[in-house]
Amino acid sequence: MMKKALVHIKGTKDGLILHLDDQCAYTELVEELRRKVTDGGIDGKLEVQLHLGKRYCTKEQQHQLIDVVEHESTMQVSKIVSEVLTIEESQEQIIANKCETYVGIVRSGQVLRSTGDIIIIGDVNPNGRVEAGGNIYILGKLKGIAHAGKAGNQQAIITAALFAPTHILIAEKVATMSNEQKFVLQHREQLCAYLNSDGEISYSHVQDIRKLRPALNTFKGGS
Amino acid sequence: MGEAIVITSGKGGVGKTTTTANLGTALALQGKKVCLVDTDIGLRNLDVVLGLENRIIYDLVDVVEGRCKPHQALVKDKRVDEKLFLLPAAQTTDKNAVTTEQMKSLIEELKREFDYVLIDCPAGIEQGYRNAVAGADSAIVVTTPEISAVRDADRIIGLLEQEEMAPPKLIINRIRKNMMDAGDTMDITEVTTHLSIDLLGIIIDSEDVISSSNKGEPIVMDPNNKASLGYRNIARRILGESVPLMTLEEQPKGFFAKFKSMFTK
Repeated sequence: MMKKALVHIKGTKDGLILHLDDQCAYTELVEELRRKVTDGGIDGKLEVQLHLGKRYCTKEQQHQLIDVVEHESTMQVSKIVSEVLTIEESQEQIIANKCETYVGIVRSGQVLRSTGDIIIIGDVNPNGRVEAGGNIYILGKLKGIAHAGKAGNQQAIITAALFAPTHILIAEKVATMSNEQKFVLQHREQLCAYLNSDGEISYSHVQDIRKLRPALNTFKGGS
Repeated sequence: MGEAIVITSGKGGVGKTTTTANLGTALALQGKKVCLVDTDIGLRNLDVVLGLENRIIYDLVDVVEGRCKPHQALVKDKRVDEKLFLLPAAQTTDKNAVTTEQMKSLIEELKREFDYVLIDCPAGIEQGYRNAVAGADSAIVVTTPEISAVRDADRIIGLLEQEEMAPPKLIINRIRKNMMDAGDTMDITEVTTHLSIDLLGIIIDSEDVISSSNKGEPIVMDPNNKASLGYRNIARRILGESVPLMTLEEQPKGFFAKFKSMFTK
């Protein structure tokens, strides 16, 4: 009986895709992959994608698959696509995208931490600190310290109804609100802070967020 | 069962001890049985402000360590008959001599006998602060209209809000009308919006407060002083009366008083 091919090579406009069977044993799959890539007769540097289907591969297994392709042939793996996600990974994603609401005042010496976005209905007083993995939206006065994108998210923004902080931090960048921040001193109301294309902290009106961070909008439709 | 109120500020020198002495006296004058507890162990001075220094026999540390009964350590203020008592702090040891558990049971015991137990808190947010707050049912935060005092008050309010007690109330002390009008200090609404807690009262700055505490006689004993009126109003608000906030405006002087002031300076 003709054995079913465990590795399919497909050419698309994005380059070659190697479809790996998701039902067979892993060791068989590695053997088949090694055979396919060595006798494929492909020369020159070529980017390929590995599609795992519904098979779950650990990080080590993924590295092994990349090794097989890159050592036995001249092909380079550009990415690995899988249709499965562990519970842990999915929970991490939920936590990172969660938006928490704090009602009250963040007072001197208090630190408010969130892994995702945070909405503060109230003020952040001097020496109070807010840290978020995502964005920070303050519906009151920001007079303390705000750190958005703490885990390194460069797209994170900070907004406040009254923007009078002592320090602003986005990802790894720090800005102190000295007298040089003329724009902020002149326009305290409804400001936002973000990282511009040069990676520097900049300030703008909240009305400009639509243009600066279009991805923030999750609202569909409207009439 | 009485109520225990801690009087605190974070920053030193804003008038916690003076406020404790005067509020206690004002409540006693209103006929309530009041006990003042000085928790500033090592740096006591509530006894000095009340003029009771030379009547101390036992102190707070003696009580919690069981060397005497609470009523033996209480010093009676003879000016307000059988109504005002002081539990003085120890001076020879430090704030770590007492634990929060010991304070809790002591305040609990005092509450059974008194209508009000006012706890004078030391400056800072260390052990002394934790002891003072431990047994309290509610808190009064004292601040002056200075930014440094307001910052520390903000910190203290943040800490108090984490305790299981009623939301703290605010007293703004040492208000100078001329500086407030000139914008040299924060004004009352600025302070209250920044701290956003209920205002219990304001005390107008008066030199007589200093001279009266030097004499060991709380200013509330003087019925004609503006600061005294502030403390009396606060005491009435604590008792549940609704008293309007006093105005900062001077009463317009009559013709004769004006004429007189032309010759006296």
